[in-house]
Order: sequence, then C-alpha cells, then structure tokens
Amino acid sequence: MMKLAQTTLLRITMAGTMALGLWASDAATSNSSTASAQEVQVTGPLADKPSVMRLRLWRENRLQLEPYFGFTFGDDYSRSLILGAEARYSFLDWLGIGVHGAWAFINLDTDLTRQVRDNGVTTNRNRLSLPSRENFPDQIGQLNWFAGVDVHFTPFRGKLAMFQKVFFDADLDFFIGPAFINISERADTEIFAGPPQFCNPPPDDVGCLESQVARSSRLVIAPSFGVAFTAYFKEFMGIAIRWRAFPFKWNTSGTDEAGPNGDFPDGEINSEDRQREFNQMMSIGFIFVLPPKIKTTDQ
Amino acid sequence: MRVFGGITLLLAALCLALPASVGAQMEFSLDEVEDEKPNKPAQKTVEKDAAQEGDLIEQLAAEQAVEGPDEPLPEREETVEEIFAVQQIYALRLKRLELAPSAAFTVNDPYLRHPGLGMAVNYWFTNVLSVGLNFIWYDWGNPLERGTTLVEQIQRSFRLGVPINEWQFGLWANFTYVPFYGKFSMFRKFLFQWDAYLIGGVGLMRTRPIPVFDPEIREFDWNARVSFNVGIGLRIFLTRYLTFFTEFRDYMFLEQFENVNVSPSNRDDPSTWLADSSTFFNNLTVQFGFTVFFPIKFEYRLPK
Repeated sequence: MMKLAQTTLLRITMAGTMALGLWASDAATSNSSTASAQEVQVTGPLADKPSVMRLRLWRENRLQLEPYFGFTFGDDYSRSLILGAEARYSFLDWLGIGVHGAWAFINLDTDLTRQVRDNGVTTNRNRLSLPSRENFPDQIGQLNWFAGVDVHFTPFRGKLAMFQKVFFDADLDFFIGPAFINISERADTEIFAGPPQFCNPPPDDVGCLESQVARSSRLVIAPSFGVAFTAYFKEFMGIAIRWRAFPFKWNTSGTDEAGPNGDFPDGEINSEDRQREFNQMMSIGFIFVLPPKIKTTDQ
Repeated sequence: MRVFGGITLLLAALCLALPASVGAQMEFSLDEVEDEKPNKPAQKTVEKDAAQEGDLIEQLAAEQAVEGPDEPLPEREETVEEIFAVQQIYALRLKRLELAPSAAFTVNDPYLRHPGLGMAVNYWFTNVLSVGLNFIWYDWGNPLERGTTLVEQIQRSFRLGVPINEWQFGLWANFTYVPFYGKFSMFRKFLFQWDAYLIGGVGLMRTRPIPVFDPEIREFDWNARVSFNVGIGLRIFLTRYLTFFTEFRDYMFLEQFENVNVSPSNRDDPSTWLADSSTFFNNLTVQFGFTVFFPIKFEYRLPK
C-alpha cells in the first residue's frame, strides 16, 4: 500500500513538473503582446476590434419555434419515440428562455424485454416481480409526456464550411431547467404468502396476474439539461440536433427492487423500488425564427 | 487503474500547459492585412458580401476598397470567378502524421462496462482524407467487477442468466474524411477552429465469453472476430498542431456468446460450450482524446 502511494505521488510530481515546465518555458519565450488562448490580440487598425464584425444576431430579441422528432436511448426495457415542440425567446444573442413540451407517441420494447417475455421463469420466490412472463411488457415503466422551462446559454457561435463550397452559421446551445414528466408505472401492490400466493390490491389477486398489468401514472419534477447544435440555412430557418437528459427515479422494470431499511425483498411494489435512471434522448428539429429579418451588429 | 491514472495525469499536464502554449495562434498583424491591398477593383465587387459575412479581415478589406482612387471606375462587368468558401485554413493536415491517444467508453452495453484506452495513427494524404490505424485496449482485470446491477436484477427477478463477453483489444484500419470545417467565436472574444469528420474501416476484435452458466467446467480462450466500424468525430484545434477530439464510433462484429444450455451428458465437451450461432454486436463507443500533428509546423503553398 505504501509502495503504491509512493508511486502515485511520484507520478503526480512528474506530471506537475511537466506542466510547470511547459508553462514556464512558454512564459519565458513569450512577451506581453502574446495572446492568451486564441484571443485576438492585434495592433494597428484592428486593435480593440471584436473578433467578429457585422455579427449576425440570430437570436437576440427573436422568437424561435421548433417542432422536433426525438427518441430516448440507453433504456433498459422501453424506449420512446417522441414528437415535441419548443418556443424560445432570447433577450441577448447568448441568453434566452424557452418552454418545451413533448409526447411519447410510441413506446418500443427493448430486446431485454422481449427476452424476458420469451424466456423468463416464474417461481414462488419471484412471483411478485414476474407473475407471468407473457405479460411482462405490460408491467414496465413508460414515458408518457414531458414539458418544461429552460434557460438557454449560447456562448459558441460561428460558421461552418461543408465540402469547402457551402457554408452556414451555427452555434452550440446549452440549456438547463426543470422538467415535468408524466410516466406510467406498475401500480403499488403487495404479495401475501399462500398457498396460493396472492396480491392485494387488487383484492385477492391470485398469482398477482391482475396486479401485473395494473398501472398508475404520476408527475415527476426533474432537472433537465443538454446541448444542441444549431445550423441556420436561411435568416428565418435552421435545424437543431439536440441531446437532452432528465435523470429521475422510477421503477422501469415493475419489479421488487428494494425495501425500507435494507429489508429486501420486502414483498411490495411501491416507491421504495424506484431506481435512479439517467434518462436521455436525441432529437432533430426545424427552427423557424420570428421576426424573419435578421439584424447585425454595428461593428 | 494505474494506466488510467498515468494517462489522466499526462492529460492533466497537457491541459495545465495549454493556456500558455497556445498563445499567439491568432495574431493578425497589419502586414497580413496589407497583403490584401492589390486588386482593388475586384474587391469592390465583393464589398457588400464582405460586410454581410461578418468576418474581420473581409470587413477591413472592404473598408480599404472604399478608400480607393477618385477617378470614375470602369463600367462593371459581370465576371465568373471561383471563390473558395474557406480561403486559408487555420491548420492544414496535408502530408502530416496524426497521433491520437484517447479514452473509449461503450454506451450501449447494459450489462458490462468496457472502458478502453486507445491510440490512433493517421496519415493525411490530402487535406481532407487520411488513412490510419486505431487500437483500443479493454482488458483491465476481472471484468465482473465492471458489471452493472442490471445483470443481478435479471437473475433475481426473472430467473434468467445473461451471457456476457469480455474484450481484450480491437485493431482497425480506417479512412477518415473531413467534409465539415468551421470556426466558432466565444462571446466575440475568443476564436477556435474545428472540423467534423467521417471515419470507417475494418479490423478485428479479440473477445471471449465469461463463463456464467457452467463456470466450474467451462473456460474460454480469446478469439479474433472480424470487425467493421463507422463513426463521426469532432476535432477542436487548440493550436495548429494540437487538437481535442471526440468521436462516436460503432464497432460492429459477430460475437460468439456462451451456450445458455448445459448438457448433463457431455458437460465436458468444449464443442457444446458456445452458442450455436453468432450474434451481430454493435459496440457503440464514445471516445475522447487529443491529437498531435507532425510535423508541428507547416507552410501554406497557396497565397492567402
């Protein structure tokens, strides 16, 4: 252990020395007119000029409307196809606020769900988690819809050349805000020893077959954040490719996963069984901007 | 983990040194601007466009064109001239060698994490096309320690075993094509150049099943699988020779998993240990890393 610690310390010292050496050597060879990072630092007629003149203000005091299509990914049991829309108003070219809403119009079973449906085994030990393998797709958690408010931060903007022939303006849009997410999960239930085993509620559900497909919906408030790449083809139109994450706890499998105070399995399907999931989606949307006429900076 | 630690420290060292080492990359001197003075009539014709483009150099050139001679200009004639969208690229890749260490993370395997350390070597035989190799090492000790909780959940809740494989390394030969090249400004103060590229190639993956269904008897050796890959990447130039890049790659191969059935009669027969058919596997990977171009310096062959 001590030997490992010494080795680690040695590596840290070497890395630090390398960084310090690089920094010191560069500082020694530079002079006061050298720019920091890629800051434009010039003399002559370009002195004190911004790095971009006649900057197109794609966002400032403009309203952006964006219908989009998206899909969730990284889901264990069910992924969603999503139709949504977003409206954003930017007070500054790099700062705005937006509202969005989306509907999961199709939920698709993953391969794991199909494997459980085809090959899952039910015994007295796991009857609550899998009363019937055929009905397993009906017990998994699904996304219904979500809506939210985001603050948009767009520090990076520029232009992009495609095949060195076609070029257009683009930006990176970072956003964060609360999201209100409606999901449906397996309804709360509790299993009782038999024989035969039965669940309650619904009352006296032998084999828990009815409880397996009983559903309950709830609204979750969760953080939502992400980044979008936006490219503008016309003064009033563009395209956005967006990644959004909205982590929260839910019972995606509809199984008994935990109990209070480490009591597991506790023989109940309830809020204790919710697991934190890093839910995420990709979307592509078309942006329509109002007013359609764009402004530029004076210099 | 030691290797991870060493690489992390080296990357940290590079990051610490970066603000100092990238200085003076974007110096626009008056000399550079004055090189554009000749050929004023031609600049007159592009004055309006230059103002609309929002480019500092183009704007300056347009202003200089306004200060031209007072005598009447000849009547304008419509001319057709080839104008490149990007006149002078910040960093050329032509005839340069690129070394790219990276970290790789599989994003679509719900059962086992596959962190990897990679190295790529590319030679750019045009400014937008390169050929090269990339290598990723995945074998870091006991793979079951990198298993997710999902495997346990499936076993407990559904009474199912999950066949999982571990990977040793992958090696691919690739072509890279750069169709997109751009520059971004941050708050109108800092400029950085970036490009987006497509990459694809063929190679191999060395994998083997982890014995799950009969671990007392079954043992598996490493085997090579033919693998194809396609991907897209984004490269941000920190200097003219140092970049940060991120890639999204799909390494595809036919995986051979463990047979989920155990035959009591011929349990010791290795020919029964593997599944009857192969499974097409997509290893979706996100990679982050740095690239260094050699030689570090280069000269433009064409006038600005």
